[in-house]
Amino acid sequence: MIAGLAQRLLGMRPAATVPSMDGALRPNRALDEAATLAECAAPDNLVWQDDHLLFTSGKRVLLLDSLHLEGEPEQILHFDGEITALAAAEDGSLAVGLGPSGIVMVGGAHDGRTITALGGRKLIAPTALGFSDPDTLFVCLGSDLHPAADWQRDLLERRATGSVWRVPLDGGAPACLAVQLAWPNGLLLHDGRIAVSEAWRHRLLDFPSRQRGAPRVLLDDLPGYPGRLSPAPDGGAWLSVFAPRTQLVEFVLREDRYRHWMMQTIEPAHWIAPSLRAGLSYKEPMQGGAVKTLGIFKPWAPSRSYGLAVRLDRDFIPTASLHSRADGRRHGVTSCLESKGELIVACKGDDVLVSAELAQEREI
Amino acid sequence: MASLLEVPLLEVRAITKEYRGAAAVQDISMSLQTGEVHALLGENGAGKSTLTKMIAGVVAPTRGEILLDGKPVSFASPAEALRHGIAMVFQETSLVPSLTVAQNLFLGDEKAFNRLRPLTIAAQQFLQSLNFPVDPTLNVSSLGAAQRQMVEIARAVRKNARIIIFDEPTATLTPEEKQHFFELIGRLKARGCSIIFISHALEEALQISDRITVLRDGKLVVTDATAAFDRDKVIRAMVGRSLTDELYGAHGGSRKTRGYGKRVLSVQNISMGRMVRNSSFAVYAGQITGIFGLIGSGRTESAKIVAGVVKRNFFHGGVTRLADRIVRYRVPAPAVKQGIVYVTEDRKSEGIFETMSIAQSIYTGLLASAQHRATLVSKTEMRSVAEHWTKSLSIRAISSDAPVVELSGGNQQKVVIAKALVQQPKLVIFDEPTRGVDVGAIAEIHAIINRLADEGMAVVVISSYLPEILNLSDRILVSRKGRIVEEFAADEATEEKIMYAAVH
Repeated sequence: MIAGLAQRLLGMRPAATVPSMDGALRPNRALDEAATLAECAAPDNLVWQDDHLLFTSGKRVLLLDSLHLEGEPEQILHFDGEITALAAAEDGSLAVGLGPSGIVMVGGAHDGRTITALGGRKLIAPTALGFSDPDTLFVCLGSDLHPAADWQRDLLERRATGSVWRVPLDGGAPACLAVQLAWPNGLLLHDGRIAVSEAWRHRLLDFPSRQRGAPRVLLDDLPGYPGRLSPAPDGGAWLSVFAPRTQLVEFVLREDRYRHWMMQTIEPAHWIAPSLRAGLSYKEPMQGGAVKTLGIFKPWAPSRSYGLAVRLDRDFIPTASLHSRADGRRHGVTSCLESKGELIVACKGDDVLVSAELAQEREI
Repeated sequence: MASLLEVPLLEVRAITKEYRGAAAVQDISMSLQTGEVHALLGENGAGKSTLTKMIAGVVAPTRGEILLDGKPVSFASPAEALRHGIAMVFQETSLVPSLTVAQNLFLGDEKAFNRLRPLTIAAQQFLQSLNFPVDPTLNVSSLGAAQRQMVEIARAVRKNARIIIFDEPTATLTPEEKQHFFELIGRLKARGCSIIFISHALEEALQISDRITVLRDGKLVVTDATAAFDRDKVIRAMVGRSLTDELYGAHGGSRKTRGYGKRVLSVQNISMGRMVRNSSFAVYAGQITGIFGLIGSGRTESAKIVAGVVKRNFFHGGVTRLADRIVRYRVPAPAVKQGIVYVTEDRKSEGIFETMSIAQSIYTGLLASAQHRATLVSKTEMRSVAEHWTKSLSIRAISSDAPVVELSGGNQQKVVIAKALVQQPKLVIFDEPTRGVDVGAIAEIHAIINRLADEGMAVVVISSYLPEILNLSDRILVSRKGRIVEEFAADEATEEKIMYAAVH
């Protein structure tokens, strides 16, 4: 406390700043100009299975015709709880994360198996899943305290209770690959390592995928909160950034008393916190000139929600990006998947699944 | 333009100036008519400044004669030349930094008792008549380079000189200020004033002059009416070959821009006084980030904050991240040690030590860096380092022991660059890298900058010359009112778009 006070008085406390969206992250309207594939509640967790596009919407797993990627999505699975993560294995089996209910295997050799705890930890928030082979599952647990839907609380409490696990499905003990992560919610296997997005620390890490090893920072100080990772066909990856960082939120994250008071007295929808979709209610914070002029959003406003998908090269360096700016209608990008020159993007904040053409010239 | 059959206002006949037996200017004859704007062009070291200094009485010719109104004259000092109506506006301003603008304007014309107020009012009116936005009450030391230049020009105009010699008058001016300056030239010309105009900006010479004289290696190459020249012809006369494509020919779509490397620098909301306000940008490895802005837009100051030359605001000053850690420099030394170097826009006062040799100058760069760990200075190492860099950057000098001050502008600039590169930086910031540099050296400096980016270094080029920014940069940032306001990819940027962003 004394050190904090001294830092403040001496001006030594770093300012609450956010990196600029420039270079490969230079704003555009690519997501707003993208074609709509389907409109459904909270689309998320895009995966390919046997040339079909699967995604989740609340408690359902939906399928979209892969040839045309159009028409009404067909429901193939329904669960009692909200689906928080989904992965497809080469043999056609699925792993479905169901929040506090654990992870359920559907199809394949492990059909019906349920995982409710890992290494003695109860599964609260499975945020991302991935197979290296049909018998090995990798799991990101966002938090040991809060369910996936309560991610804003986890951020505002400044928790770092997430972990990453390697789970042999054919027997054997699960191996913990990393702990004390601040909301890991995306994973990608590459070159014998596992890349993980650590949302609250705005960075991508990777570490060995077989045993616990020292993490390596792949990408740091992102201007938003990184979410799911998906492989790009010619190497590299796509990163979904589900919400932007703003100076106001960064500032609130440093003001403990105010933050706790806000969380106790104000309903979560109106917290000063990142959001998958913001700006639609007059009760929200930041309704003044900072974000709106005559009731119209400035495209460059420091809004609490945003739409952003980032193309990363093999070294995880951003090379291009697709945006839905503050005044856009494709916010809260939680998942994206490249296929045949198109990027399919799940905009959970705006309840829409879109397909953006990846022209060469988009490579900024 | 006055008829060429009239007796010239000024004529120099077979004029020669030798220093220790070596001719800086050799057997040059030229004339200047009343109301004529005469551009004097040539590479650095071509003899332009020496020739004009002889006309203005700064140095005496070794041979030849100067005729004013058809009568031979010789001037023992610039003051004597001024009495005959010849004034020279020098590239390096000759103002007194501790005096105000008004005092500088009236310097030498003081009465026994002076009151500041009338002086200031007169200065204000005079500066306004020239459209120069300079506050006459400010001390000259607080002015930027462009405003100093304006005061210098105003002083020459105020002396009612019949012949005014401008040595690189527009090098520090913004495009808007240049336009004012050209209008001023037009007004002076209409008044019957004759002008000798030295510039490296060939477009300017072609735009405003009536005749052009090109010098090379101290000799006259050609004198002709401006209408007989185009840019390529001028360059051919200056350097003996065409450099247009080498310099600015690549822009137009054929050049392949470099992709993004790792983010080397992230500047977040930095502020410094009224000059830099909440500015944010990033710089990436393996590419050239061009920063364009008008003078006063905060581009140089932002770069200087990054390099530790000036300090950001103590409170709410923002954050600078180098690679993955936050840095804050109060002096340049730690920035240099961590791989940031700033190649200054003002090489004379900030870039070189005038009393040192080339080798010593380059070696000082090494001494300041993290590369040098020895306690003692090694002359052998100094010579080998100097030899390496003079060869690598094609610095033309008799030997590495030659004083830097004797080199041409282009070679001095290469010494400044060598002094920076010897520190093996991760990030190099070039501020106006080709200001006051001849076209031959510009091509070489551009090649050096491109080579650095190709080798994977993060390079920033700050320039107020749009063709340079467009030709060099892989991405272009535009600075206005103390912050970065716009970013363009190289293939979408045009002069109009950049200028619009810089002004509006």
